Amino acid sequence: MRLGADGGGMTSPNSEPESLERIVELRLPSRLGYEKIAMDAATSLARRMGFATDRVEALRTALAEAVTNAIEHGNAHDSAMKVMVVLAVRPDELSVTVADQGRKHLDTEQTTLTPKIEDSFDKPDKGGWGIWLIRELMDEVEFSTAPSGGNQVRMVIHLEA
Amino acid sequence: MTVPSLQPSIELSFPSELGYEKVARDAVAAFARRLGFDGEKIEDLKTALGEACINAIEHGNAHTPGLRIAVSCICEGERLTIEIHDNGVRSYTGHATPAAIEQKLRGLAPMRGMGLLMITELVDEAGFAASPNGGNVFRLAVYRRRPIVAQ
Repeated sequence: MRLGADGGGMTSPNSEPESLERIVELRLPSRLGYEKIAMDAATSLARRMGFATDRVEALRTALAEAVTNAIEHGNAHDSAMKVMVVLAVRPDELSVTVADQGRKHLDTEQTTLTPKIEDSFDKPDKGGWGIWLIRELMDEVEFSTAPSGGNQVRMVIHLEA
Repeated sequence: MTVPSLQPSIELSFPSELGYEKVARDAVAAFARRLGFDGEKIEDLKTALGEACINAIEHGNAHTPGLRIAVSCICEGERLTIEIHDNGVRSYTGHATPAAIEQKLRGLAPMRGMGLLMITELVDEAGFAASPNGGNVFRLAVYRRRPIVAQ
């Protein structure tokens, strides 16, 4: 891993002024189970920032969904492909960005659709609720293309005064 | 489809500010838990890693804002190796001979400066590694009794 003053190149060039933002980066292999490492790192940071327990739990769940999506879909279970997690600490919020290397691209439709519970009854596959769940749990959610070309989701939770 | 013979590994980086070493400790502990290390070994590893990261923040990067600490972890067979990289604002290899605890207790020597000694007691391998790209690289390793199966 290369060191730099800019956060190692994974950080968005449009990030907030350096003085107010602190960044922790994680690079994980695309294997199910490794999402727990991202969850524990984010929990450690969120607790330090003073988030309440229920907000930390919401963040854990949202992050688990985002990282497993990246492993299963974005990187198509290719363990040589990495999942990048960037935790950006700001005075009043925590921003978490999860990026994959884009074996498969998410359609805009998949990132905006609200699934209907009635439809799930007839389907053998009960999946497809992850993105909906992330939107329910986080204060801001934005899907985009990562600088690396993969899928990227940015999730923000605000610290309440 | 061939199964990749990839060794389990993770990488992380954080700012040179005290407190962030705790995030690194929690991330690496989660990784070690996944690899099947027992609780006691993980606690020792967390303490050693925290101390090594604080050394990198305080000495290697001399608290310089904007400089980062990078931690890379790789598991090969029964050995989990962790490297802590800093930018080498200052190179350091620890105190040649740490002051005796009696002197510290009497206030005749600083309370800190036992970090490297403590690290070597807690893990199976510890020491500075070659760093051809500059900076300080501190490496520590822990073993598991049984070989670790790829997971």
